[in-house]
Amino acid sequence: MSGRTYWKNQLPVVIFQLLCMLMLSVFLLAVGNSTDSILLIDLVWVFLCAAAMICRYRRRKQEMDRLLKMQEQLEEKYLIPELMTLPERSDDQVYYYLLKDAEKGMLEQIEAGRRERAEYKEYIEQWIHEVKTPITAMKLLCENNLYPFTRELLAELEKVTRFTEQALYYARSEQVWKDYSIREISLSAVVHSSVADNRYLLMHNKAAVEVADFGDMVFSDEKWVRFILNQLIVNAVKYSKENPVIRIYTKRGEEAVHLRIEDNGIGIPAQDLPRIFDKGFTGENGRSGQNATGIGLYLCKRLCDKLDIGLSVTSDANGTVIDLSFRMNDFIRQVQG
Amino acid sequence: MTNRIMIIEDDPMIQTELKNLLVGNGYEVFAASDFTDTVTDVKKYRPHLIILDIKLPGTSGYAICSEIRTFSDVPIIFVTSCDTDMDELNSIMLGGDAFITKPYNTAILLARIASLLKRVYGVRQTAEYEWQGVTLHLESGTVTYNGLQVELTKNELKILAYLFKNAGKICSRTDIVDELWDNQLYVDDNALSVNINRIRDKLATVGLHDFIKTKHRQGYML
Repeated sequence: MSGRTYWKNQLPVVIFQLLCMLMLSVFLLAVGNSTDSILLIDLVWVFLCAAAMICRYRRRKQEMDRLLKMQEQLEEKYLIPELMTLPERSDDQVYYYLLKDAEKGMLEQIEAGRRERAEYKEYIEQWIHEVKTPITAMKLLCENNLYPFTRELLAELEKVTRFTEQALYYARSEQVWKDYSIREISLSAVVHSSVADNRYLLMHNKAAVEVADFGDMVFSDEKWVRFILNQLIVNAVKYSKENPVIRIYTKRGEEAVHLRIEDNGIGIPAQDLPRIFDKGFTGENGRSGQNATGIGLYLCKRLCDKLDIGLSVTSDANGTVIDLSFRMNDFIRQVQG
Repeated sequence: MTNRIMIIEDDPMIQTELKNLLVGNGYEVFAASDFTDTVTDVKKYRPHLIILDIKLPGTSGYAICSEIRTFSDVPIIFVTSCDTDMDELNSIMLGGDAFITKPYNTAILLARIASLLKRVYGVRQTAEYEWQGVTLHLESGTVTYNGLQVELTKNELKILAYLFKNAGKICSRTDIVDELWDNQLYVDDNALSVNINRIRDKLATVGLHDFIKTKHRQGYML
């Protein structure tokens, strides 16, 4: 509450008081009082009035500051009326009821929006499950009848599958906690199934894939890790130079197993590196015609955060190394004995 | 003895094509067409393995699975487009042996079927191939000819195994590359040529020349 404005608002009261004081003094003088006693009366008047006004100002100020502080600490600002008590002053009460009403309207809006979003998400998920049936049928049909053109079709189908998966995971990524189960998984099995998912993409781009022999087991969710790997493999192919080579291997660290995906592609410019995980960020590589969406790596980062997988990137003009670190925490080691 | 596989799947296209795929891989296949009395079909047909969809008209794969489990331990593979963890958990709790999500990779599906059958019925796979006096030993990864032996690498072994399996027929380069990818060996067209040349060099050391013939623009042939 600004003190200046407050006192400005109080100006009529002050003037009124001064006028009253003046009139009383004139009256008292007329009926024959001494100036001394009149001055005394005026002084007492001014003192009492000033004291009362200052007191009131301080009380108001305190009240308002309390409200402001509450509002500041509140995460959902629109809930402030819930914390307010009914003010004493009748004009304050009007504002109070107005706020209450506004809050109610707001809550209704939010609830409606939330419900709509949930319904939409449900619809998307259901749609994706349904579209998977014809995709499977087409895939089987092509694989049972392999000709050059069905191979091309399979490559296109692989793309369709990738896009539907991305949509599904995007719809779900908000609630990973509802849909994951951590168990011991074989990193090499996940890597191989992820390579198989992108088989036609890799073959079409003549990418050499070198998967080292590793037997590391980690605790994570297979489905999500596979999704992350798919995104990374697609990126490695998308931003490749001639004769792409993708190397996948593991390194055992002190407290984590590092899965590295190394490519010899065009790399990521240093100034773009800090922002590659931002949603919608496409960077220099994306702008130069690779139709980047800025979604893939953003989803990877989000999923990694939720699954407690470390994700880091190093890159130069000779390629990019992505490092996924799966923690081997004490608890797991104890259980493993 | 060929293994009988029963398909319980409501999409007619997938049903037909899955049947074709499995028949093409040497299985005997029965596809259920009516889902009201699937369990009787199972009792009558007595399959060695069941491929079961979860979403079925009028019933669900879970219900069928738990009913089957009351009288049989036949391996069951759930194949579905529902891939939440609850689905997977349910299918395992009810006694499913594997859970594969659509759209599946046929190589992975076939490998899963083969390994389940092997685990449950102990079906032995061919351990060696022979063609024109040359023997390929799959387990040791060697070729013997006239008492001489030469060792092969993983890639070379898979390539030769495929050629032996289709001995006398022309194998196109893409078919060979496909086969290798199915076996998690990621070899491209150039690397295939390198591998074939290396195999030829190795075979030459045991006195085999021109064992793998190049068919111009078509592929290779034993």
